[in-house]
Amino acid sequence: MLKRIWAIFTRDVKVSMRTFISLYILVVPLILAFAINLFTPGINDTTINLALLEADNPEQIAYFKSFAKVELFKDVESVQKRVEARDNIVGILPEGDKHYIMIQGNEPEGVIDYAKLINSLNELDIQVEDTNAEIIEFGKTVPPLKRTLVNGVLLLISILGGMLIAFNIVEEKADRTIRSINVTPTTRNTFILGKSLLGLVLPIFGTIATVFICGFGDVNLLQILLIVSAASLLSLLVGFIQGLSSDDIISAVSIIKLLFLPLFASVLAIELLSAKWQKFFYWSPFYWAYKGNNAVLSQTSTWQQILSYTGIVIVLCGIVYLIAAPRIRKGLE
Amino acid sequence: MITVQNLYHSYNKDDRYAVKNVSFEVQKGEIFGFLGPSGAGKSTTQGILTGLLQLQQGEVSVAGYDVKRSSPEMFNKIGMSFEQSNVYSKLTAKENLQFYRKLFDVETREPKELLKLVGLEGKGDIQAGEFSKGMKHRLTFARSMLNNPELWFLDEPTTGLDPAIAAEIKDIIKRDNKKGVTVFLTTHNMFIAEELCDRVAFIIDGEIKLIDSPRNLKLQYGEKLVEVEYIENGKSVREKFSTVLDKDKKRLQDIIGNYEIQTMHTKEATLEEIFIKVTGRGLV
Ligand SMILES: Nc1ncnc2c1ncn2[C@@H]1O[C@H](COP(=O)(O)OP(=O)(O)O)[C@@H](O)[C@H]1O
Ligand SMILES: [Mg+2]
Repeated sequence: MLKRIWAIFTRDVKVSMRTFISLYILVVPLILAFAINLFTPGINDTTINLALLEADNPEQIAYFKSFAKVELFKDVESVQKRVEARDNIVGILPEGDKHYIMIQGNEPEGVIDYAKLINSLNELDIQVEDTNAEIIEFGKTVPPLKRTLVNGVLLLISILGGMLIAFNIVEEKADRTIRSINVTPTTRNTFILGKSLLGLVLPIFGTIATVFICGFGDVNLLQILLIVSAASLLSLLVGFIQGLSSDDIISAVSIIKLLFLPLFASVLAIELLSAKWQKFFYWSPFYWAYKGNNAVLSQTSTWQQILSYTGIVIVLCGIVYLIAAPRIRKGLE
Repeated sequence: MITVQNLYHSYNKDDRYAVKNVSFEVQKGEIFGFLGPSGAGKSTTQGILTGLLQLQQGEVSVAGYDVKRSSPEMFNKIGMSFEQSNVYSKLTAKENLQFYRKLFDVETREPKELLKLVGLEGKGDIQAGEFSKGMKHRLTFARSMLNNPELWFLDEPTTGLDPAIAAEIKDIIKRDNKKGVTVFLTTHNMFIAEELCDRVAFIIDGEIKLIDSPRNLKLQYGEKLVEVEYIENGKSVREKFSTVLDKDKKRLQDIIGNYEIQTMHTKEATLEEIFIKVTGRGLV
């Protein structure tokens, strides 16, 4: 059985590489990942920039340097000019034996908080050696936009897997080859598993690539793969149904595109709507997958949380499967 | 090798049967033909025997397996060539065969050797999508031999092929049958049936009208005729005489004795003429 599943899977990969639109789908995750990197700042860029006075206590300057990028200026006026420049830089200026913080007003909250934190640490005379991981983590907080984009791409990739399945089934139908497979010892379940594999392998490959390209290499990969695989089940089902009920690639794509609707709705609900609206999106597997991915990407996830989200996604997909299974079986006859 | 008893099949699951009360047996080592016009129910019957269509009513055993209980291993023993060719257009001829090879549990034949056998030598690296209809048909035919089947189903094996290739295909069928392969073939071509089949079943409107060997059928139904061309009053006349009827026999003697004979042929009734006699309909 494994031998046949592998044969069917590798055949699908081979044919996908030869079909322009499928090949395109195979590389889309990589393109998106690079695009995200281009248009959102990297993780390390969020390290705080501080503007200090040259005349400040060298000990103080060294202290700040151990936590942030430091630029030195002659006088308060130059610091002010620098702070008013476009990027996010915070001035820390001495006043008596304390320091005060100079901001422009448009800096992200995290940046200001961080500057305040360093300042208070300095005043409390806490050394780098005393700091705990929390502070460093804080400095590495990923801009939420990037996390959102990466998360969205991961879910998008799960849908692309379903598209590939649909294409490969449309191909089998156009060539009438399902009949010829049915006169070999290949059982229907083996065929379905073989055909599904690409819909799972593409998301897994795409997720790993995206996560690393976008600089999330240190997140819990196992957790994120678990969630993405579960979310792929839905697209996989839709891919099968669509492949079997369409006669050409175009109509197959058009229905699968409908999956983007619950995907976007779920993302927007989580990002924009208040708590009381959330329950209206509990039916969407993408809702739970997005939530789970967010937790993993911000490294706040626990196994219990991830397993329960994955469980919910699988149950929701199971319900879709129960509804769709008779149609799939019939279509393969 | 095949036993079919009281087989019925309706595509709409109503009482409009595409196959009606069909019963027959195929012995090991014979070539058994289903002869009938298009739409007679030949492919439907074959579909049920090969498990492509679900058995609705009747008893069917194929290569020792009860078709009611689907057993994947059965397909290691049988081969099936389809009426409409069905191969992966995006794969080359060789890749097509290599892929199907992996789906069997038994020893399989070399794709290269099979391609040569069906006249596709040197075409192995071309994508099947670029093949002509006849080439695709030959590839489909070659694929049905991959697993060295002991029971071989052929649905219209030579239909649509040019005569030279059809002759080659017929030779392959004969050769494999000599090696002991049992063949079940469907055709609406009486020449194929006559040339290849040890026994034929006449099927029309889903019903078998008769089963016998082509030779027996001719002995039974085909009265021998003599066609004579002779000169009468300076004109050439053509006439057919039965070699059985007394009246015809006398008249024939008379002509041979009194006229100049130009040509004289004995004519055998063709399988098609017998088919028309038995079923009241032609083969197209
Ligand atoms: N998939 C199908 N759905 C409904 N009717 C069909 C189907 N296939 C064949 N038939 C009908 O069943 C009858 C027998 O067809 P078939 O077995 O293909 O004939 P043959 O192979 O002898 O030409 C025909 O009347 C045909 O129209
Ligand atoms: Mg037919």
